[in-house]
Amino acid sequence: MLNTSHLGVGYRNRIVINDACLEVKPGELVGVVGPNASGKSTLLKTLAKLLKPLSGTVYIDGKSLAELSARDVAKKIGIVLTERVQSGLLTSFEIVAMGRYQYTDMLARLTPHDRQVIMDALRSTGASSLAERRFSELSDGEKQRIMIARALAQEPSILILDEPTTHLDAKGRIEIMMLLRKLSRMKKIAIIASTHDVELAIRLCDKLVVCSSGKIKVYDVPEQLVEEGGVEELYGFNNGLSFCKDTLAAEPVINDDEDFRIFVIAGGGSGVIIYRLLNRLGYAFTTGVLHEGDIDFIVAKSIGGRVISERPFKEISDDSYTEALRELQKSDLLIYASPPIAKINQRNFELLTAAKELGLPIIQYIRESNIGNYAMGIHFVDSISLLANMLVEYCKGLSKDKDKDILVAKTE
Amino acid sequence: MSRIVFRQSKFFWIGALLLLIPLIILMSITIGSVDIPPEKAISKLVNLGEPDTTSIIINSIRLPRVIAALAGGAALGISGAILQVFFRNPIADPYVIGVSSGSALFIALAIFMGTSLGIGNPFSPYTLYIAGFIGALLVSIFMIFASGIVRSITTLLIIGIAISYLASAITSILQVISDIERLHVFIFWIMGSFSGVKWLFVNFLLISIIIGIVSSMFLAKPLNAFMLSENYAQSMGINIRIIKIGAIALTSFLTSIVTVVAGPVGFIGLVSPHISRHISDTSDNRFILPTSAIVGAIITASADLAARTLLMPRDLPITAITALFGAPLVIALLLRGGGS
Repeated sequence: MLNTSHLGVGYRNRIVINDACLEVKPGELVGVVGPNASGKSTLLKTLAKLLKPLSGTVYIDGKSLAELSARDVAKKIGIVLTERVQSGLLTSFEIVAMGRYQYTDMLARLTPHDRQVIMDALRSTGASSLAERRFSELSDGEKQRIMIARALAQEPSILILDEPTTHLDAKGRIEIMMLLRKLSRMKKIAIIASTHDVELAIRLCDKLVVCSSGKIKVYDVPEQLVEEGGVEELYGFNNGLSFCKDTLAAEPVINDDEDFRIFVIAGGGSGVIIYRLLNRLGYAFTTGVLHEGDIDFIVAKSIGGRVISERPFKEISDDSYTEALRELQKSDLLIYASPPIAKINQRNFELLTAAKELGLPIIQYIRESNIGNYAMGIHFVDSISLLANMLVEYCKGLSKDKDKDILVAKTE
Repeated sequence: MSRIVFRQSKFFWIGALLLLIPLIILMSITIGSVDIPPEKAISKLVNLGEPDTTSIIINSIRLPRVIAALAGGAALGISGAILQVFFRNPIADPYVIGVSSGSALFIALAIFMGTSLGIGNPFSPYTLYIAGFIGALLVSIFMIFASGIVRSITTLLIIGIAISYLASAITSILQVISDIERLHVFIFWIMGSFSGVKWLFVNFLLISIIIGIVSSMFLAKPLNAFMLSENYAQSMGINIRIIKIGAIALTSFLTSIVTVVAGPVGFIGLVSPHISRHISDTSDNRFILPTSAIVGAIITASADLAARTLLMPRDLPITAITALFGAPLVIALLLRGGGS
């Protein structure tokens, strides 16, 4: 129903996106993503006929957008923009009623049918209870629902939204995107929304349009973008930030403190929280032996830990064990995450015993949910805040000792 | 349900305000240097057959004056309401588009340079009306032209203000080089007053304001959409260019006529929309435009009555009265309402 052929968008002489070919069908939610200034808004404004294309054509139901009258466009396309609305004393109902512009008489008098469309629009965005409230007094999330209802009141077949989640909190962002998904299916309309929230768009949209370096690339299956490593590329993730394909999360990598060596024995998800703690505190770490595909393996890798691993569902081999032991010997501290132990990772328990024999300081962390396998650890904590405090104290002590060593070395 | 009650209360206020108008007319024709009892005044109004001093006072002096004030106030009120929405600026008033400065410049030219330019008697009110109207018209035409080519409404606002400064600059130079007698005439005009207005101009004003109010109702619906934003308005299928030109043309037309007849009457265009929004408790321009016209008419006629009676027999400048009483009222309203 909406498609473009070799569309070029931009302002006057400045082309922002060139040669864009896109097709959107009824009932589809299309996410438009891309870095700042990649032309997302410009593209959407061109699709909505707020800007003239620099080249190419936008078609709606096979007709060129340029040939449709403003009136017809208003009945086909509803928009929600980022612009601040000056609503004065208007109620939400009155704002939504403006969506009936092309359907009402010169004095904008509402027929019973108009009222019904307005109430339907409010209901479908979950905003019926806000109808009589003053728009200016609503929260950002509520305002967004009203603005979406206003666009729906135009009874459009295409809804175009520019950054509808921008000013919202985490919950609000998800709610609005889920609402859009629901509306696309319920009302069988095409919804095109730009967003900064790539992770959310991958999870919810039927199609992704990626804008970058003057081009668009359409992904009919958003997961394809992940598999291609497109997200990292899109945002130019490099040092300091990584994107985890498996958890769809952007991870800051900040564990660059190599003053002391921390080894973590984990597995089966017992290590994730400890890796995050170490990363946040800035301590580099080594962990093992983890089976590939274990959530501990995935998270440790994505936040830049050194990981000694074994192939999935294989018993820990001599090679991996020896490598881990070698690392352990160079370590200043061992954190034992109390992983569930079974035949395939039994040698992790041996590693713990070896560490004790080496006289390595050991902290064992036991989560409430993780009972069993009480090792004869030296320190023994059951809350993450205790573990954090202990780590900070301990590492402070360690670096002081190291400073002393350096001093001694210098004076000698 | 509550909606219906709401709407009725808006209409109630419009009705109540309309009832004030005959009251003000009656007060204005009875109070003055010669007090006329109301029943006599009414009988003179109805029965124009036997002219005497009283009927001359009423029909040639007081009645045209109060009607001019009502019509002029309505024109300013409605223009202010349109421009505040149009410029998305609550302190916009009809003079931001430079019309009064244009009038002032041409009236100054007529008064100070009239003799050397050979325009007959530079002190005749007709000369001044014509000069003022030409000035207002030129600025209006320029603003309409600008509104057709400028994309941003804010830019248009700045152009209007720049024109005001330009015209005021030339006017002030003319004032400095003129003689005292001419300066006095000019200052009397620029302070603004409805005194001595002729029926010819009253009729002209009345016809204009009726045209103005009717055409403003065509603007109410698109102006509501403009409140959201220009882009939203466009997405609802509104022809932005036509509305821009229409709003500027209508307001400059109305403002020009008032300014030429009564000089620049400040404050009415600024406060009437604010008062209207307060009493009708909405920003819906279908209510605000007519209510602003009525509020503007009432304030202006009351201020005019005060202007000519407070320090009788002197006529005070009407802007002084509107500001003196209007400003504290508006401040109080805004502080109480938390600002609209």
